Amino acid sequence: MDPGWSGPAAVAVKDRLFQALAILRVVVLLNAIGLNLYRADEFTHPVGVLVCVLVMAGWTGYATWAYAAPARRSLALLVADLALAIALVLISPAVKGGDHLVSTIPGYWVMAALLAWAIHYRLLGGLVAGVCLTVADLSVRQDFTQANYGNAFLLVIGGPIVGFMCESLQRMAAERDRAERAAAIAAERARLARVVHDGVLQVLSLVQRRGHELGGEAAELGRLAGEQELALRSLIRVQDAAQSTPNHGTLGLGAALGALESRPGVSVAAPATPVELPAPVVTELVAVVGACLDNVFRHVGESAPAWVLLESFPDHVEVSVRDEGPGIPQGRLAEAEREGRLGVVESIRGRIADLGGTAELSTGPFGTEWEFTVPVDPWRAPLTDQ
Amino acid sequence: MTDPIRVMVVDDHPMWRDAVERDLAAAGFDVVGVAANGSEALARFPAARPQVVVLDLQIPAPNGVEVTAEIIRQDPSARVLILSASGEQADVLEAVKAGATGYLVKSASRDELLDAVRRVARGDTVFTPGLAGLVLGEFRRMLDGPPSDGPHQPALTERETEVLKMVAKGMSYKQIADRLVLSHRTVQNHVQNTLRKLQMHNRVELTRYAIEQGLDDDADD
Repeated sequence: MDPGWSGPAAVAVKDRLFQALAILRVVVLLNAIGLNLYRADEFTHPVGVLVCVLVMAGWTGYATWAYAAPARRSLALLVADLALAIALVLISPAVKGGDHLVSTIPGYWVMAALLAWAIHYRLLGGLVAGVCLTVADLSVRQDFTQANYGNAFLLVIGGPIVGFMCESLQRMAAERDRAERAAAIAAERARLARVVHDGVLQVLSLVQRRGHELGGEAAELGRLAGEQELALRSLIRVQDAAQSTPNHGTLGLGAALGALESRPGVSVAAPATPVELPAPVVTELVAVVGACLDNVFRHVGESAPAWVLLESFPDHVEVSVRDEGPGIPQGRLAEAEREGRLGVVESIRGRIADLGGTAELSTGPFGTEWEFTVPVDPWRAPLTDQ
Repeated sequence: MTDPIRVMVVDDHPMWRDAVERDLAAAGFDVVGVAANGSEALARFPAARPQVVVLDLQIPAPNGVEVTAEIIRQDPSARVLILSASGEQADVLEAVKAGATGYLVKSASRDELLDAVRRVARGDTVFTPGLAGLVLGEFRRMLDGPPSDGPHQPALTERETEVLKMVAKGMSYKQIADRLVLSHRTVQNHVQNTLRKLQMHNRVELTRYAIEQGLDDDADD
């Protein structure tokens, strides 16, 4: 069976339902007492009826106490609850007398036992109790009237329906409980990861630092530690971004660019607040910046410093990529054009133009700097979500 | 400048604390105190009276941001240099708002660290391109955000924005000075002003919060 039925969430649902049932028990008891008083002069054995009513009142009090604690809700209690209701139905003709039994002594009071079974044993419990009570009720009727049929029908249908609803409530509560637990575990894991990551980063930085100072083989170790440190730091950035952006269809541009820091020499500056853009725009922008950095790698040096800056404005974003290399030689652009091939520069311009933006290139002995300006339609991003 | 600069080192990792302390001492700095967590740092700060506190952000409570704020409150002339391993962006920005004037990632070399401590002690601000990007983003956010900041809304001058942007693009003060035909000192002043505006705005916000919450009687100072 589903493991959730005895879990704290399901038990909490049952607690609430049994509390409501305790009130209902008193209401149906008062109803039964009232009806029996009203018909007291028709009884063959008034003392017998009185004893029956006293038993019902006593049981109502006992049951309210017994069902209040989860530990006391045993099979024995539920069987006793149902058995008493059936017994009262069965002895009704003998005690009340008369040729035509209009109503049993407990009357609607039997509902309490039915609902207890539906709450505790769910759909199946409701069905079993409903059938038992119906059989008992019909066995004491001399004739099968429309009203009798209606009562029987309600008992057999009502029991399982209430049972099914209790089942659904308990299932939902258990699921919610599981979801809350999973969220709490994830949050705790994130917290622990942060502590562990910080420790690992500390050690990697230290190895890198000392390695450089010691030189020789230690310098190589230091270099490796430095690479791992960058890789871990960009991983953390990407993870943080993934956790803080549950939106479908958008990505954080800052975090995505930040991942480029894992390349040697690259430093990325971005605002602290996430810059959310449609995923295809982010992917393309990061790819273009990556292409610029590839160029730095090729023409300036394998770990030549390069800087990426992201700025966010209400209607556009600006991304710049800068290096301090020798710049793009004057002739190269023209040469590429003459040969009829699309140079890297034109390819970059084209890709930014496809995003509806502009790309500006300044190059000279100071280095090379790209500035991309890409428009952001603040209304478009949420619409694509729907 | 004959007196050595008094420095305090706050870091919960003993290895790091020792390494930084050793480097500083070897370079002629006077390490007047070390601490492994926030409460130790605040307990030892008044007696040690360091000019520069080299502070790790991720330390046992109170955290680096709170320690920065309290140190600056006790001694506005003290300088805080943040040295962080994970460089959590939000934390770095908060520490700078609280009054830190320098930020380095721990992967910085020994020479970079020594240089940073010297500059921070002189009253300079030590910016990484990353920090400049954060500060720039923060001013943009305040500018674009709802006008709840009212008359206190801080704004950078065009020149300050230009300089800060260049720092964020990785240019050195000297390169910026050459490009803009300014003196090195002027560039430094622009950078310092941006931080001062951010920190002032932070104090104004905290004070207003205190007034709104009815926590403070003499909030005008």
